Amino acid sequence: MIKFIGANKSFNNRLVLKNINLEIAKGEVIVICGPSGAGKSTLLRTINKLEPIDDGEIIVDGMYLSDPKTDLTALRAEIGMVFQHFNLYPHKTAIKNITLAPRKVRGLSRKEATERAEKLLEKVGLLHRRDAYPVQLSGGEQQRVAIARSLAMEPKIMLFDEPTSALDPELINEVLDVMVSLAKEGMTMVVVTHEIGFAQKVADRVVFMDNGEILEIGAPPDIFVNPRHPRTKEFMSSVFHIPVFNVNQEEDQDF
Amino acid sequence: MMITGVKVTLILLAATTVTSLVLGTVIAIMRISRIKILRVLGTLYVEIFRNIPGLFWILFFYFVFPDLLPWGLGVKLNSYLYYPIVAGILGLTVDNASYVSDILRSGRLAIPHGQREAAISTGLSRVQQYLHVLLPQMFRITLPPLGTRMVHNFKNTSLCMAIAAPELTWATQNIESLTFRGIEATTIATLFYIFLAGIMVSMIILLEKWWKIDVSSISHSKA
Ligand SMILES: Nc1ncnc2c1ncn2[C@@H]1O[C@H](COP(=O)(O)OP(=O)(O)OP(=O)(O)O)[C@@H](O)[C@H]1O
Ligand SMILES: [Mg+2]
Repeated sequence: MIKFIGANKSFNNRLVLKNINLEIAKGEVIVICGPSGAGKSTLLRTINKLEPIDDGEIIVDGMYLSDPKTDLTALRAEIGMVFQHFNLYPHKTAIKNITLAPRKVRGLSRKEATERAEKLLEKVGLLHRRDAYPVQLSGGEQQRVAIARSLAMEPKIMLFDEPTSALDPELINEVLDVMVSLAKEGMTMVVVTHEIGFAQKVADRVVFMDNGEILEIGAPPDIFVNPRHPRTKEFMSSVFHIPVFNVNQEEDQDF
Repeated sequence: MMITGVKVTLILLAATTVTSLVLGTVIAIMRISRIKILRVLGTLYVEIFRNIPGLFWILFFYFVFPDLLPWGLGVKLNSYLYYPIVAGILGLTVDNASYVSDILRSGRLAIPHGQREAAISTGLSRVQQYLHVLLPQMFRITLPPLGTRMVHNFKNTSLCMAIAAPELTWATQNIESLTFRGIEATTIATLFYIFLAGIMVSMIILLEKWWKIDVSSISHSKA
């Protein structure tokens, strides 16, 4: 579904993505984690070409992103993106936030778009807030509307960039619940997050990045509990406060 | 004469409010465009029209502009009964549009990056991004200074007396010199200006309420 081949990207002559090779299958849920500045957001944003790469290739659902003939609108219509700061349109109500792109890009009628939006609002548990403006919504509600806005385009892939890190702790779960159900429905998802519980529950693979590189890829327990790379170990113990417990067979003596 | 004055002032106000908003929006979009030549032209426009007094532009369109046109057209314009009003509209428009574009541009700068990114990532085209996401927010964010600017433009309609466009200030002046009933005329003119400016301000406040958006909310999420 998504394939990175030797992708490189630099900002101001500094490489922020170094030789990224990664293949993500249809229906897979990938969690990306790593320290600040590792290049997680940049990696995510190259998938819908919000950031172009300098060399290498990215293939999304058969579309070659380096090919100038690739229809970016079509590409982006297939990829939903959810941001840390929600980025709802503040001058539009929840329902209007959701119907805008389906109407303008997919050419749905107002009625069709509204019906679709109402279904999605129901799905994220916010149908009763359909006419609220973003300022009138809590952070968790805003993020759920933002997810519904992306889903309204019926994307094949959903990208999430730290969707819960701007939220108060008590609002995180309502957003994660929506994401979990989406994952269970078989959506292809790439999620930058440090929500270990979410990753344990639904991630097929976890990608650990540092300094623009993918250092390690593995199933959630492999990365969180029993990382191999010293940088991963260091990061897990400092950020997640997970000392290297060694629930696994392999004895790790440095604890 | 007073009635005509009121009418002409209203015409000048209505026409220039619309034209300067349209032209100002176009110039603002040019100035924030990706295309360098458009940016340069837009900036040039603002620097030229904002830094030269509006009165100059009114005089320019009245006295100079017809001469710049192909001969026949210029003569026709000069003999056109309402040309002073047309020249006044042109002069006020180019002047006010330079301020409008500057105000709108500042509004664009106040919109967080994420707004455009959200619009792009749902597949909206550039034009759609402007129409549905950026411009509506630019107008909302800049409503207070934009409103003040429009009231200012309203007062500037009185500059058209310099080219004998029969607007309210010109009428007042004329009544004074013809009938010496200047006090009455001035009083009426004063009340009218205050009244109309009051209406404009109320409309702006209403619009602000109708758009019921806490402007600060737009830029609350600087990433
Ligand atoms: N538009 C940009 N211009 C210049 N440098 C940038 C830009 N965007 C990101 N960078 C730099 O690229 C590097 C990777 O940034 P990125 O946002 O991808 O990191 P991240 O892993 O998402 O970090 P965080 O956890 O803080 O969000 C950083 O050093 C950042 O400063
Ligand atoms: Mg990031």
